Amino acid sequence: MKMFSVSHKTVFVVDHCPYMAESSRQQIECDMLTKSRAQAMIPLSPVSKSLWTCAVECSMEYCRILYDIYPARKLINYIVSDSECHILNTWGEKTQSVQELMSALAAVGPPNPHEDPECCSVLHGLVAAVESLCKITEYQHEARTALVDVAHRVSNRGRIICLTNAKSDTHVRMLEDCVLETIQDQNKLAAGSDRLMPIQQCELVLVHIYPQGDDTLVSDRQKKEMTSVLSSEVHSVRAGRHLASKLNVLVQQHFDLASTTITNIPMKEEQHANTSANYDVELLHHRDAHLEFRNGDSNTGSSSKEGGIRETVTLKWCTPRTNSVELHYCTGAFRISPVDVNSRPSSCLTNFLLNGRSVLLEQPRKAGSKVISHMLSCHGGEIFLHVLNSTRSTLEDPPSISEGCGGRVTDYRITDFGEFMRENRLTTFPHMPVDTAGRAPFERAKSQLERHTRYWPMIISQTTIFNMQAVVPLANLIVKDSLSEDDVLTCQKTVYSLVDMERKNDPLPISTVGSRGKGPKRDEQYRIMWNELETLVKAHVETSERHQQVLDCINACRSKPPEEEERKKRGRKRDDKEDKSEKNGKDSEEKGWNPDTERLKGAIEREKENESESGVIKDSPDSPEPFNKKPRLTLEDLQPLEKSKGPVSLLSLWTSRITQANSRKHPEFAGRLSSINNKAELYQHLKDENGLVTSLPESLLSF
Amino acid sequence: MPTVVLMDVSLSMTRPVSLEGSEEFQRKNLAVHGLTMLFEHMATNYKLEFTALVAFSSLWELMVPFTRDYNTLQETLNNLEDYDKTCLEAALQGVNNIVQQEWGNTCPCQVVLVTDGALGIGRGSLRHSLATLKQRGEDKKFPLPFPFPSKLYIVCIANADELRATDAMDNLEQLLSLSGGEGQIFTMDGPLCLKSVQAMFGRLIDHAYMPFHATLRCGNLASDVQVFPRPEPVLLDEELDPTPKAVHTELEIMGFIEIGDIASPPVVSRHLVLPIAVNKEADEVGAGAADEMEEELSANQMAGKIPNFCVLLHGSLKVEGMVALVQLGLDWYGMLYSQADSKKKSNLMMSIFEPGSEPLPWLGKISQLGPISDAPENPYGEDDSKSPFPVLPKSKRSYAQNVTVWIKASGLQELNRLRKAALAFGFWDLLKCVAELLERECTLLPDSAHPDAAFQLSHAAQQLKLASSGDSKYAAFDHVITPMLTDFSGGVSGSDRI
Repeated sequence: MKMFSVSHKTVFVVDHCPYMAESSRQQIECDMLTKSRAQAMIPLSPVSKSLWTCAVECSMEYCRILYDIYPARKLINYIVSDSECHILNTWGEKTQSVQELMSALAAVGPPNPHEDPECCSVLHGLVAAVESLCKITEYQHEARTALVDVAHRVSNRGRIICLTNAKSDTHVRMLEDCVLETIQDQNKLAAGSDRLMPIQQCELVLVHIYPQGDDTLVSDRQKKEMTSVLSSEVHSVRAGRHLASKLNVLVQQHFDLASTTITNIPMKEEQHANTSANYDVELLHHRDAHLEFRNGDSNTGSSSKEGGIRETVTLKWCTPRTNSVELHYCTGAFRISPVDVNSRPSSCLTNFLLNGRSVLLEQPRKAGSKVISHMLSCHGGEIFLHVLNSTRSTLEDPPSISEGCGGRVTDYRITDFGEFMRENRLTTFPHMPVDTAGRAPFERAKSQLERHTRYWPMIISQTTIFNMQAVVPLANLIVKDSLSEDDVLTCQKTVYSLVDMERKNDPLPISTVGSRGKGPKRDEQYRIMWNELETLVKAHVETSERHQQVLDCINACRSKPPEEEERKKRGRKRDDKEDKSEKNGKDSEEKGWNPDTERLKGAIEREKENESESGVIKDSPDSPEPFNKKPRLTLEDLQPLEKSKGPVSLLSLWTSRITQANSRKHPEFAGRLSSINNKAELYQHLKDENGLVTSLPESLLSF
Repeated sequence: MPTVVLMDVSLSMTRPVSLEGSEEFQRKNLAVHGLTMLFEHMATNYKLEFTALVAFSSLWELMVPFTRDYNTLQETLNNLEDYDKTCLEAALQGVNNIVQQEWGNTCPCQVVLVTDGALGIGRGSLRHSLATLKQRGEDKKFPLPFPFPSKLYIVCIANADELRATDAMDNLEQLLSLSGGEGQIFTMDGPLCLKSVQAMFGRLIDHAYMPFHATLRCGNLASDVQVFPRPEPVLLDEELDPTPKAVHTELEIMGFIEIGDIASPPVVSRHLVLPIAVNKEADEVGAGAADEMEEELSANQMAGKIPNFCVLLHGSLKVEGMVALVQLGLDWYGMLYSQADSKKKSNLMMSIFEPGSEPLPWLGKISQLGPISDAPENPYGEDDSKSPFPVLPKSKRSYAQNVTVWIKASGLQELNRLRKAALAFGFWDLLKCVAELLERECTLLPDSAHPDAAFQLSHAAQQLKLASSGDSKYAAFDHVITPMLTDFSGGVSGSDRI
C-alpha cells in the first residue's frame, strides 16, 4: 500500500474547443406527459446533449464516486482547455468537492461554436496538467516535513485523464509527445524548487469522444510504457451512455474499486402502500471488501456485465431485526457510493441507512446454511460496507476467564469499575488539540486514569470506604486534577459525617472474609476505615494545596492523632510478624525484641500518657485553618470531661453549661454518647489490643 | 494463526545420517525429533494454536486435521511410514485446499515444510514445477502464493552447503519468494545430529512460536498478560514507512467507549488477552505480609485467588457494554472487550485497528480523544441520552445530499436544481426545452386552475430562457429563481369570500 501512488493526484483535462459543442446525437425525450394526455398536441422536439455536456457529466460522475469513497488523500484537479486553459480548482482540500467543480464549470459555460478553431486546443490543458502534477499537495508537504531526513521517500506520481475529440491516431501521438516533452521540461524546473516535485510516474488516459452514428477516427490502444515516467492508453468512445459506462469502469480500475449489488431489497410502492416489491441497488466500494471471494469459491454469485470488464458480487438483503447494539467481528469497513445515486431504489436504501439502521447481507447460496458476510452501516452520514468474518474462528473454545488468574475471586467491584469506566469515557476535542500544559487530549485521558487509579482496591473485601455511601462525595472529588473551595468544603463535610458516624457508633461495611469470629470491634473498624481514607487522600496530596487541606482535615478529625496511630501500627506489625514467626518457627529480625507482655503493657501505658498531652498540644495551636477549629474543640472538650470525674465543682457546672450550649452547634462526642452515668471509659481499644491480633481480618494485612 | 506441518515422507528422508561411533539415524528421525520439540513447545506455551499434519511424497495425505491435541499429533508423527518420491507442488496444492476449507482465505496461516532438500526428479519435482511456472493456464496455476496470508517456513534436514551443492537452495529460495517472501529457510549448522536439529527447531520456535507477553495497564492498575495469537508486525507503506510496526509490550488503556459508539469497527486482527501469573517481588496492593503468605502456597493455586485486573476489567466491560480503547504503540490503537463464545464462555479480547492516527473515521483522530471531564458539559448528557460519536465528516457524501432529479419541473425548488446542473454541464438546450414545456403547460391549464399558476409558469419559463442565453446575470450558477410576487398569493381567502 503506497500513500503516494498514481491515484493520489488525478488531473482532468476536458476539451472546450468549438467542436465539442457538436451534438452527441443521443436524444432525450423531454415530452413524457403527452402520451398520458387525452388531448392531442404537437410533441416538443427532443433535445440532445453536446459532446461537451457528455464529457462534463461523466467526469463529474467520476469525481462524485471518487469523493464519496475517498473523501481525503485522493485529489482531483480539473482543467478546461480552449484558447487557453482554465484551472477550475487546486489540490487544496477546500476545493475538492463536486459542488466546487460544478460551480466553476457553470462559470465556464458550454463551448462557443463560433470561436476560431485555430486558436483552440486541448494542448493548453495538457501542459497545465503536467505543471499541476508537479505542484506539491498538502499531503506530500506534510509527509516531507515529517520525514525530513528521508524526504526522498515521498514520491510524486499522477494521472491525467484527457477527454477530447481527436482528429486521428497521429493527432493522439502528437498529444502524447506534448505531454512527454512537458514532463521532461517541468521535471528540470521542479528539481530546483521547494514547492514543486519532479514527476516520477505519470499515466495518461486519453478518451476520444465522438458523436453517435459516426465512425471513430481514433483506434483504441492498451496501456503502453512511452518512457519510464510516462505510460499512455487511448479509449475511443461514443458519447452518451457509452462514455458514462467507460468512465465508470475507469474509476473502478484507477481506484481499486469493486461493485456489489444488494438484491431483494423490499420497498413499498408509491401507488400501493400495502405491497412491496424487491429491488436491486448497485454500490461501488474498495475491492478489498471482496477479499474473501478472490480465488477459490466460485459460488459467490459474482457475475459480469459488459464483456467481463464490470463485475458485481450479489449479496442478499436481510431484513434487520431489532436495533440491537452488537460488536461484530469485522475485518474491514469501506465507504460506498451508489452507482445510480438518483434512482429511487438507491436513494431509498441510502436514506434507510442514513437514518441509522444497519443491514446485514447474506451470500446467496443454493444450499447449506445462511452465511452473513457483510453489513451496511452508516456512521456520521457516511455509509460503510463492513466485511464480517464468516469463517471458522481460530480463537474458538478458549479457556474461560474464570479458569485463569484471578478467575476464582468472586467479589470484584464490577459495578464500581463500571462507574469508573463511565467517568473515564472519551469524547473528541478537535478544536482543542493541547491544553495549557501542552498535553494532547489522549494524554490528558491517560493522566486522568492514572489519578483515578492511585488507590483503587479491586475487590469488595479489600476496601471499606468504597463500600460506604458516605465517602462517595470525597472519593469522587479527591481524584480531580484541581479542587475548588467548594470541593474542599464538600470533602470536609464528608469527613465530618464520618466523625458523626463514629460518634453514633454506626456499623461499618467491613468485610469479615477471612477473619475468625465476628470480625473486628467497632472502633477497630473505624480505625481501618480512617486508615484507608487516609491512604486514598495521601495518594493525591501532591496534586495541590487543597488536596493537602483535605488530608489535614482527616488527620485532625480522625479519632486518634496520626503519630500515635503510626506507633501502634508498628507495634501491631511486630505482633503480626511475631505471631507468624512463632507459627513458622522461623527466625525473624524482630525476634530479638521479646514480646514480654508486661513490658508491652508498660509501653502501652506510657503511650497512653503521652497521647493525652502531646496530642492536644501538638494539634491545637498549630492549626491555623478555620476548619480545624471543630476538631480542636473536640479534643479540648475531652479534657474537661475527663476531669469532671470528681464532685461537682463550680468549674464543672460552668463547663457543662457551656458544653450543652456548644453541643447544639456540633455533633455529640462519641465518648459522651457511649457513656454510662456520664462516665465514658477512655481508651477502650487498648483493652481489645491483645485480642486483636488473632481476629485481625486478612484484608487489613494489605494496608 | 493456524499451522500446517508439511512433512516430507519420501524415500530420500530415510537416508542415514553418517555419525561416528554413535547410533545410526535417518534424516526422518531427526525431523521427527525436531517436530517433537516443536509440538512440546506448543503444548506448553502455545496451546491454543491449531495445527494440522500433512504427510507427502508423490501424493499427500492429511494425517491429522487442525487440532489443539498435541498428543495425537505426536502419536501420528511417530508412526509415519515411508513412501516414494517428493512432489512438492501437489502437496502445496493440498495445503491450499485444507486451509481454505477450514479457515477460508482471509485467515493468516503458517506452513512449516520439513524436507531434506531432495526435491524430486522429473515431472512433479520442484525444479520442473518452477521451470514451467509461466506456461500454465488458469486451471493449473502453481499453488503459491496462497490465496490466504501465509508464512512459509522451510525447515531443511540438511545443511546449507549440501543444499548449495545442487540447485536445491536456489529452488527453495524461489519457492519462498513465490510464497510472498514472508517466511524463512532454516538449515542445520554443522554435522547432522540431534543437537543441530534441536538448534534449528529452536530457531524456528524463537522466530515464529514465542508467546507474546505484555503488561496491560489502566493508570495504576495493571496485569501481566499473554496476547494470543501473538500480534504480528504490520507494514504500513513500503515507501514511506518501510519497517514493519510491532505492538508494544505495554498496552495502555486510554479510556472507554460505548459499544454502540465504536460500532463494529474494522480490525486487522483479534486476540485473546489471558492474564498470566508472573513472580514479582511485590504486589501493587498487598505488599508486606501478603507476600509471605504467597510464598507458602504454590503459585498455581494462588493465581486463581489473587484478584487480577483483567478479570475486573472484563466483568465491567461485559456488564456496561463498553470497550476500552488501548494504545499499542506510536499512533497505533486497539480495543478491549468481552467476548462470549457459543458455550457462553466469556473472555477478554483485544482487536487491533489499522495503524495510524485515525483508524476509525467516526471517532476522529484518536489523539484528540480526551476525558469527558474536560468538556464544558458532559457530551453524553446527564442521562446518557447523547453521544459525541459519530464524529461528522467535513463534507457530505453525494447520497446524503439533495439529489438532482433531472427533467422533472414540478416546482421551483426542482427548477433551481435543474437549472444549476444544466448550467454546470453546459446543457443549455435543456433549459430552453423545459421553458417551452412550461409555456405549453401554461396554455393547457384548465379553467379551474388558480390564476397564479399561469403567471408562475410563464415566469419560470422566462427565467430559464434567460439562463440559457448565457446572460451573465441570469446564468450565474448561484442565482436563484424566486417565485413571482403576485397579488393572488395573499388573496386566496379573499376569492373564497366572493
